[in-house]
Amino acid sequence: MQLEKIDDYRWLIPRTYKPGMRTDAIVYANERLLEAIRKDQSLEQAANVAMLPGIVGRALAMPDIHQGYGFPIGGVAAVDEQIGVVSPGGVGFDINCGVRLLSSSLTLKDVKPRLRDLVHQLFRDVPSGTGQTSRFSVSDSDLNQILEKGPRWAIEHGMGSEADLDNTEERGCIAGADAYAVSARAKLRGKPQLGTLGSGNHFLEVQYVDEIFDTTTASRFNLSEGKIVLLIHTGSRGLGHQVCTDYVSQLDEAMRRYDLYVPDRQLACAPIHSPEGQRYLKAMAAAANFAWTNRQCIAHSARGAFKRIFGEGTAMPVIYDVAHNIAKLETHNVDGKQKRVLVHRKGATRAFPGQPVFIPGSMGTASYFLVGREGSMRETFGSACHGAGRVLSRAAAKKGTTAKEIQKELESRGIIVESLTREGLTEERPEAYKDIEAVVDVVHNAGLAARVARLKPIGVIKG
Amino acid sequence: MAAEFELLEHTSDMGILARGGSRNETLIAASKGLASILVNPAGFKPLEERFFKATGSDEAAQIVNWLNEILFFFDTEGMVFVEFDIESWNTDEVIGRARGERFDIDRHEFRTAVKAATYHQFESHPTPQGWEIRVFVDV
Repeated sequence: MQLEKIDDYRWLIPRTYKPGMRTDAIVYANERLLEAIRKDQSLEQAANVAMLPGIVGRALAMPDIHQGYGFPIGGVAAVDEQIGVVSPGGVGFDINCGVRLLSSSLTLKDVKPRLRDLVHQLFRDVPSGTGQTSRFSVSDSDLNQILEKGPRWAIEHGMGSEADLDNTEERGCIAGADAYAVSARAKLRGKPQLGTLGSGNHFLEVQYVDEIFDTTTASRFNLSEGKIVLLIHTGSRGLGHQVCTDYVSQLDEAMRRYDLYVPDRQLACAPIHSPEGQRYLKAMAAAANFAWTNRQCIAHSARGAFKRIFGEGTAMPVIYDVAHNIAKLETHNVDGKQKRVLVHRKGATRAFPGQPVFIPGSMGTASYFLVGREGSMRETFGSACHGAGRVLSRAAAKKGTTAKEIQKELESRGIIVESLTREGLTEERPEAYKDIEAVVDVVHNAGLAARVARLKPIGVIKG
Repeated sequence: MAAEFELLEHTSDMGILARGGSRNETLIAASKGLASILVNPAGFKPLEERFFKATGSDEAAQIVNWLNEILFFFDTEGMVFVEFDIESWNTDEVIGRARGERFDIDRHEFRTAVKAATYHQFESHPTPQGWEIRVFVDV
């Protein structure tokens, strides 16, 4: 694919690249990242996203972009609320997969001597990996409340405080969520999984603040060098997967009724205002609320683990919780006019000016704390990237290494890892991902989000 | 030809390429391929049976939905299937049965969690030797 270089961090796929593109696509990357991005079909998928009916502005690819199914992972597309479509594939199967960062009253010096105990306690208290079920007893009525109220349900049951909601995107509850738009099968999949981490790339990481780049902003979030923080990365578990499965199937059939065409069936969509589109949005909102509650429950369990090791006085406030697989109705400036648009963020995080943005690195490498900048509102519908982005397939990542070797290597760098499965470690080894520093460099220099602090892991729980 | 499958590499996901003498045999091979992504199937016995019904407006939807049934049973009951029978397959649905046993972390080896089967780069078509199905799953 011939890309037009705009500057050192932006590349254009012109709408003339292939028939059906309704707009250009912009790729945020430097030359080195672009070389890795070109190795899979992600740029082709970014061009496909530019074909979505009702798309406004440009289709956007973040520097961590990699090939997904339909939408690339690291893709952003905004569609006109009035005439646009909603695509469950533009959100993904793990609806509201996201990250929550908790601060703590502890420092590296406090934690290091008892790190192994802490990691072990977290591994015991937060179910991770397959076959590990919820420790929370949830009735059908509870589940419906969770779907419609989000983490407020958990707070009403003594798991957290109002301050947690203040520091959660949308206060953990997308309005319009309807528990009855979520199938019985989705509820059956999700109910035993509340408060569980799951597997794949999901993790719980004990980190410390390694370096601060912007002291003013860091102090706003009470971050100082050496402070211990906890990063939780997970989503809506089987409930979200089933909601997406159900609605891809329904919208796939609905497309014929609305005479819609997409180049990849996994991009199945329906007009936002159609009964099918509305129903998906209500179910997606419910699944998103479930995911926020899931992270709230995990935070509650993790706080318990910290208190058990370091005493009842250990405080762990939420710094922020943000989704990176979501579609949201927002108002943005489009061609000089304020417009209501549905922003699909698939493997992309909201990055409104001043809002915390977390970019986790691969297992064992640094993560970054940034805040959104004005550039994100001008160019990316208030979005930035969500991680390092894979470069190796899971099979390739597993070759030439063993879980034991990875664990040993990480321990030699002072990082203690616990995982239920070997695959949890080998598939997610650091080499499977792009260079986090390069990814962060692009969003920082492109003006989408500004670097505030670097966080380094010392304890990792993998599913 | 004997039905078989191979796993395909994809940056973020995994694919299954199944081949068989007939469409039914090939879907069974794809089903076994999916089970082999989830777990090491070697330790599983056909102890319990479940009824499968996958509807869909066309063949692709029926195959994707059939594979999603496997994931649904795994998530909700921990069932891993090692034997499959397809009893009927018409323009609206595939009906069959599957036998296997529940995953037990102390006896079985888990591999990779799968969220769903997808339509991405999906193919199902006859070949000179029989049939071929290619499906990518989100992991």
